Amino acid sequence: MFSRPTICTLGIALVSAVSLRADPGDSEFFEKKIRPLIEQRCSECHSAEKKVKGGLRLDSREGWQTGGDSGAAVVPGKPDESLLIKAVRYRDKDFAMPPKKKLSADEVATLEQWVKMGAPDPRTAATVAGAKKQVGLSIAEGKKFWSYIAPKKIAPPAVKDTAWPRGDIDRFILAKIEEKGLHPAPDATPVVLVRRIFYTLTGLPPSPEEVDTFVREISAATNDKVTGRQGDKVNDAAVTPSPTRLVTPSSSARAKVVEKLVDQLLKSPHFGETWGRHWLDVARFAESSGGGRTLLFKDAWRYRDYVIDAFNRDVPFDRFIREQIAGDLLPAANSEDKRRQLTATAFLALGPTNYEEQNKQQLRFDVIDEQLDTIGKGVLGQTIGCARCHDHKFDPIPQKDYYALAGILSSTRTLFNYTDNVARWISEPLKLEGEEEKKFAAHEAKLTSLKQDLETAKKDLAKMKAVATKVSAGPGKSIAAAELPGIVVDDVDAKAIGEWSNSKHVATFIGDGYRTDDNLGKGSKTITFTPKLPKSGRYEVRFAYPPGTNRAKKVPVHILHAEGEEKVFVDETLEPPIGGRFVSLGKFRFEQDGAGFVLVSNADTKGFVVADAIQFLAEEEVAALDAALKPAPGDDATKRSDEDKRKKMDARVKEMESSMKKLTGAGPLRPTAMAVHDEEEIGDTQIRVRGLVGQRGAQVPRGFLQVAGSAPAKISGKESGRRELADWLASPANPLTARVFVNRAWDWSFGSGIVRTTENFGTTGEQPSHAELLDFLALRFVEQGWSVKKLVREIVLSHAWQTATGTTPGDPDNRMFAHANRRRLDAEAIRDTMLAVSGALDLRTLGPNIGNAGEINANDTSAQNVEYKYEFTDVRRSVYTPAFRNRRLELFEAFDFADINATFGHRSASTVAPQALFLLNSPFVLAQAKAAAERALASSSGDDERLANAFRTTLCRLPTEKERAIFSRALTGVKDDRRTEAWSQIYQTLFACLDFRYLE
Amino acid sequence: MDTPLFSRRSALQQLACGFGYMALAGLAAQQQARAAINPLAPRKPHHPPKAKRIIFLFMAGGVSHVDSFDYKPRLIKDDGKMMDFDDARTIAKTGKGATQRVMKPLWEFKQRGQSGRWVSELFPEMAKHSDELCVMNSMHTEGVAHGPATLFLHTGTTNFIRPSMGSWVNYGLGTQNENLPGFVSIAPSLGNGGPRNYGNAFLPAVYQGTALGRTGQPAKDTNFRNIIPARSMDEAKKQFDLLREVNAAQLAAKPGDTELEAVINSYELAWRMQGHAPDVVDISKESPETLALYGIGEKDTDNFGRECLMARRLCEQGVRYVQVNYSDNSNNPAWDQHSNMPKHADHARAVDKPVAGLLTDLKKRGLLEDTIVWWGGEFGRTPYAQTNGTGRDHNPNGFSIWLAGGGVKPGFAYGATDEFGHFAVEDKVHMHDLHATLLHLMGLDHEKLTFRHDGRDYRLTDVYGHVVKDIIA
Repeated sequence: MFSRPTICTLGIALVSAVSLRADPGDSEFFEKKIRPLIEQRCSECHSAEKKVKGGLRLDSREGWQTGGDSGAAVVPGKPDESLLIKAVRYRDKDFAMPPKKKLSADEVATLEQWVKMGAPDPRTAATVAGAKKQVGLSIAEGKKFWSYIAPKKIAPPAVKDTAWPRGDIDRFILAKIEEKGLHPAPDATPVVLVRRIFYTLTGLPPSPEEVDTFVREISAATNDKVTGRQGDKVNDAAVTPSPTRLVTPSSSARAKVVEKLVDQLLKSPHFGETWGRHWLDVARFAESSGGGRTLLFKDAWRYRDYVIDAFNRDVPFDRFIREQIAGDLLPAANSEDKRRQLTATAFLALGPTNYEEQNKQQLRFDVIDEQLDTIGKGVLGQTIGCARCHDHKFDPIPQKDYYALAGILSSTRTLFNYTDNVARWISEPLKLEGEEEKKFAAHEAKLTSLKQDLETAKKDLAKMKAVATKVSAGPGKSIAAAELPGIVVDDVDAKAIGEWSNSKHVATFIGDGYRTDDNLGKGSKTITFTPKLPKSGRYEVRFAYPPGTNRAKKVPVHILHAEGEEKVFVDETLEPPIGGRFVSLGKFRFEQDGAGFVLVSNADTKGFVVADAIQFLAEEEVAALDAALKPAPGDDATKRSDEDKRKKMDARVKEMESSMKKLTGAGPLRPTAMAVHDEEEIGDTQIRVRGLVGQRGAQVPRGFLQVAGSAPAKISGKESGRRELADWLASPANPLTARVFVNRAWDWSFGSGIVRTTENFGTTGEQPSHAELLDFLALRFVEQGWSVKKLVREIVLSHAWQTATGTTPGDPDNRMFAHANRRRLDAEAIRDTMLAVSGALDLRTLGPNIGNAGEINANDTSAQNVEYKYEFTDVRRSVYTPAFRNRRLELFEAFDFADINATFGHRSASTVAPQALFLLNSPFVLAQAKAAAERALASSSGDDERLANAFRTTLCRLPTEKERAIFSRALTGVKDDRRTEAWSQIYQTLFACLDFRYLE
Repeated sequence: MDTPLFSRRSALQQLACGFGYMALAGLAAQQQARAAINPLAPRKPHHPPKAKRIIFLFMAGGVSHVDSFDYKPRLIKDDGKMMDFDDARTIAKTGKGATQRVMKPLWEFKQRGQSGRWVSELFPEMAKHSDELCVMNSMHTEGVAHGPATLFLHTGTTNFIRPSMGSWVNYGLGTQNENLPGFVSIAPSLGNGGPRNYGNAFLPAVYQGTALGRTGQPAKDTNFRNIIPARSMDEAKKQFDLLREVNAAQLAAKPGDTELEAVINSYELAWRMQGHAPDVVDISKESPETLALYGIGEKDTDNFGRECLMARRLCEQGVRYVQVNYSDNSNNPAWDQHSNMPKHADHARAVDKPVAGLLTDLKKRGLLEDTIVWWGGEFGRTPYAQTNGTGRDHNPNGFSIWLAGGGVKPGFAYGATDEFGHFAVEDKVHMHDLHATLLHLMGLDHEKLTFRHDGRDYRLTDVYGHVVKDIIA
């Protein structure tokens, strides 16, 4: 294939070549034969008039000269090099045209002849109207687009109401509001604010005591009359905000109270659980692969813990990104860091990979595409994936840039191998320290030594067996299959098609005789030997047959191995060269679980076809055998003693095998992490024309997005380039990374971003509502050492974040952030709160949460049962709920848990009837309501206090007068035996009501 | 004027409301608001449709076309011969073909009906409907393994995350019954893509398929999730009234928020659904003749018969897209006879009569005219024995499906495979083409049915797909 620049030069060369060849006879040939053919069979998809598929036009000479996405369609004079001819020949399934029906052989020949003639074509582009191709911005144009320009430092604007801003964020926000002649909303009441702060930072509701403390401290700070316990007065304000009361002379004192709470919560381990969960959405985190054959990611929890821990420890965001892209390559201070960093690279590995894809090179590029999509949307806010098949149609991302990045990832190993029927990821053993490491090391040393002993013993046994074979069962004698080394498939275990009779006519056989076709039914009989191999690898395949003069001389034998099919012929009149018994068919690679077999057929044979057995010898066994076969046979006494030795060795091998199994099962299993590492072969890759894996174009040097970098990438020849990619992503000079993340943090705090298309900062994304503020935050983020906690702190301490909900005239979408958004609680917060209220919530942090998550054999047909049969019964926080791709917790499905298959940093919040049905009828909700009711009734308080407590735990406030009246009525006249039911209904109602679901 | 198709953003902001949406009860602007807000409001198609709904009978695992609807005498003639074939799986893995043993059909083929179409004895009941069927003999698709091919069948891609066909139809046309979901998948499997096969991906959640039961669960126990009140009706009513009152009180404190109103409304709808939906799946009022037609009450056919009957009932109630899954949760689902081809007969027994019954019933009720029935799997099977055994491997390169009703030519066969039934060669129909054609029959232009996501317009057929006009009546 050609790269783009080559096509252009070639195109120019061709024009002159063609113009030299103008000949009236040729033209006639074209008009008579070619034009009608093209018009009938090609124009529908390849003409300006109808469609221009794949960018190719065949309605003019220039059309096929320039060609489409795959390059020039015709090379005049050279049919074999012309893509048009290749396509109509229909030999390559992915490159066959016309798609609906093959041209006739005559038609193909006519086209070939035309190309051979030099492809005379009188049609010029001028005669046909051109169809415009959609093209994206050039790199130069792109560098002028807002998101690719480095953030600029701009002083916060001046504002009229100088008392309102609590910091620079507020100046940017207020300036825009004042521009429109408007005012920001009043402050949220303390009761509203405390709930907002808790859910935003920890995903959990404040306890009644925490609400009280906060309200008391705010009141004290603002000299409000309300003191002590949260009273009705404050509470009423929660429902009907009274705007001016808390705006302040003493607003800085109030700010201090908020600050204290925020600082306290930023230190809570639940901060990392909640903010880590946000990142897990970006990282399309899941604990199984989904897709075709879903496979459990048994170690994915380690990545989840890594993320939670990183947010809790406030690992600088640039380092956080570096670790996830190239943790395995970065220096580590100690083995704990090494473990963390290896674990971080699961970011690249835990996509929704369709491991079952049979074309493993296709799979490899699908994985790379998914990784680029995730890095693009997650870190850069770019839809890089659009450039897999062609230059990006809107953004300044040429296809070349895609393959520059792809080269880095194709130099990275994400799949364990490229041969397994069902592929799998890499489980990287983790090194520990101190006593623990010693324990593992000792165990592993024991295993290794036992394994070595076992292998030696096996080799010895193979030698002994080989000798025995030669001695006791030379030509003319029978031998049991088990006596022979290697894997032997006897004819009785083979699949015979057609009549094969059993014979013992010639005494040289394995097991109980051999098969013969009786020299009948030629072409209708086959016998297939399918081995069960202990491991993948190269094997020598040997075929046993008893020879004879009446045998066929040309017996076809097919070997289907991992790399294809081989057909050999065996002359059964000759004595087999190996021990008079076997002939070698060659060495081939077989997969342990692959579909390898050896098939003997009697097609086109003359004479008897016989088949006795097939032997598969691992390469190392062959060497041992050859050595063993040399010594001459001894006398009877030696033979007997040899047989004794052999039996003893046989027993010993069996014993060792069993202790090996025991030791493996008993010993501590070294922890492993999902991870990637550099590929053995490192290098640049080629553009894949139209994204087709097999259609290679020009090679491109590994690199990054040109539009978002100043200097060309310098990538070491010794590594994949992930280290450099990580550096480029996490560089302060990258115009996207910091912007994209601060925008996410804003979105997760406010409920909508400054750029609302959080995954798309390209030309088709939305423009920022506050471009200067976004730049300010991005620069500040970098200045403050990429500290996420400092960023979040600054956002939630802003005055803008602490306003009441409401509406702003002329701004229905609240793009000015003049008031707080009313936000639906996340699925996790809904579940966690219900569990907290019922008393069931288990607040243990970190660690695995799926039982039976042992080693997964991808090719085991029951591998997915852990997921399919999983019962969601645990009561830990939702961030630990098993995140299967094919089976979600019902509550998550109902309440818009992000699509677990791709980067969705911003959760949608739908309102659908299944949510209502879930809250009305699901056993989970009913169970929580009942448990909460039983808890309430067990306390000695009266119903009034119970009701107050129910409100305080579910809605973090007291009931209003109206609500009190409604519930009192529901409790009036309730008989003793209905009290649990009545209280269950009250709790369920609170779970289902509006104020539970929304955060003011 | 057509109601414009909703963008994701506006749909999300304007509160998507589930299953169906009864617009803001009690508000004066009800009708107006309904058209503006309800993403499920019936929408005008791009062109006059031939059909109003689709019933897709999914035969998971891949039915052998050469044993059922694609008659190849050559297989009988060359039965047992070793020949070279470009086996799809071997090619995917090694880039080369392999020698294989030709295997003749295990069921006898006969010409049927007026049309004289060849159908084997594997499906004697369906065979009686030959004059209704439009058999597509030249299907081909992507994906050699079940996972990729099943996802391709449902979402038009083997590996990307894309909406399923039913979601696209729902998005394109809206719903006809606000008390029921517009897209129902009966007894879906968790395997081979699982929920992705009826998922909405990046389309708004309102367009997702609703699972009715799950594979392995007896159809007689099937119902929509959480549809049956967990309390006695008396207590359920008390609880609901309490919730109504509390929500009204809370809403009064925050007037004018349409999203909160939508939540209240979703409860009203859920309450009504509790009353309606169980009736749809309740087949107890069907006549004994109808039950018998579907084979309900007979051991082999009871389960699939019930599911087919439910499909008809859902369609009658205005559900646009119903998929009935004949599947299981395994990696080698139902029809996947890699060894032991004769096992096809067990599956055929389970589906043959119910499917034929469904056709008869739809026709009798005048529903077949504007209902497309689509029968088929994710791919076909090879004309040769797998590893020289007794079964057939997957064949994505050539296979058959059939359509009936809704504007397709009856008693018609389209396209052809080669003389072995291995590769589609004549009038080839790619799965993308089938998608395009089905959408076309529903009044939707597959090139215009797009959704803007991540800055790009997506469609079911990606950049492919041709409408197969020749099969349209």
